[in-house]
Amino acid sequence: MRILDEKREGLYVIRTLDVLMSSGVGLEAALHTIGQGGYGIISEDFSKIMKRLSGGKSRGLEYELKSMMNLAESDGYRRLLNTLYTNVTQNTDVVETLRKQGSRMEEERAEEVKKYIEELGGVPETLLSIGMIGPIILSIAGLIPQLLTGDIAAFMSIPDPALISGVVNGGLILTLVGMMLIGLKAHTKDPGL
Amino acid sequence: MFFRFLEAFNGEPLLLYLGVIGIAIAGGGIPPIIERNRRRKIENSLPGLLESLASSVGAGHGLQEAMMEQSKSAPGLLSELLKETLEESHSSDINSALTSFSAKTRSSQVQRVMMLLETAMEQDAPLQGILDSLSHDYERLNDLINRRENELLGRGILIIMFVSVGLPGLIAFIVGLFAPASAGFKLDDFNATFGTFFAAASAVGVGVSGRMLGRLKSYLWFIPLWMAISMGLYLGAVKVIGGG
Repeated sequence: MRILDEKREGLYVIRTLDVLMSSGVGLEAALHTIGQGGYGIISEDFSKIMKRLSGGKSRGLEYELKSMMNLAESDGYRRLLNTLYTNVTQNTDVVETLRKQGSRMEEERAEEVKKYIEELGGVPETLLSIGMIGPIILSIAGLIPQLLTGDIAAFMSIPDPALISGVVNGGLILTLVGMMLIGLKAHTKDPGL
Repeated sequence: MFFRFLEAFNGEPLLLYLGVIGIAIAGGGIPPIIERNRRRKIENSLPGLLESLASSVGAGHGLQEAMMEQSKSAPGLLSELLKETLEESHSSDINSALTSFSAKTRSSQVQRVMMLLETAMEQDAPLQGILDSLSHDYERLNDLINRRENELLGRGILIIMFVSVGLPGLIAFIVGLFAPASAGFKLDDFNATFGTFFAAASAVGVGVSGRMLGRLKSYLWFIPLWMAISMGLYLGAVKVIGGG
């Protein structure tokens, strides 16, 4: 997932840009260095920008950064691109802003991990509840044709065993889907460490 | 007795296949665990090494000299690897030594640090400040990774125990008690359906547990074994409690 990759690599990209630009490297050269690889999806993005710029297919770095901002999925990466864009258009102090952004991103990451741990706290119990309630009800439903026989079965007009079996199978599949959906939280909320 | 026990599941080929495949594949899950432990040891000692390097560089030593000193004095796997690399690459330049060192550690954290250091040296950037800030960055990152692992490991194990052991045990108890085969209940299809369900639920449980800890790939190796355990537990417990 793009957002996870952006979150995972964002802070390292900021630190690298900080090192490069505070030692006098220009923005385009810094983007080129990151675009050479090692920073996942961000390297790919920067590499595309540099290719378009060097191929003469672009209107300029600011337009490329702006269009990349629309592609970005995480707030941190979008803020980083915005900082670079502002630097290009208004000549701001990019190094100082990157440092502040790095610290902020680090705080956010710590918060996200804390939140992730808290949110996953109830997953074992929720999984067990869903995994238990469904099969208990369905197992009783599945046993009905055998538990109730003779006059009682005729009196209660018990449905066809094939129908009950179909309901049980469908119910078990739904239970599994429910368990998967609960477990999906562990993937979608990953802080990307 | 063991073969008699196995023969009791002759009517459940899926369980037998899963058992055999599970035992065979589980061995593949051991190397990732060993590798991960090794990598985490290296990564946990990285901030300490960077801090010491920052002090040495601040005292006026070159990076290579500082690394040499640290490799001799600091304990642990990271400094051992550093020493080994520096001894091997005494005649080559520092950049190739750094590249070789990061490749040996097989750690993305170390690789990133070395890449950044190489870039910093190329640009003549102030190394002490960079090493110091990297040390703090990676200390905080490792604290977060360790915290996630410590706090979620128990919950991950709980999920596996609940879903793969507790759930089939409980349902087997209910079914065995209220609809025992010894009393004439015909539950072959019913048990096959529920056995398959518990195997699938177990796979979901193990997958979720692995994803929570960020180790889904290494947990995948153990999924067939847990599926077999879960299914076997249900079918076995139904037979033991309900007879037949």
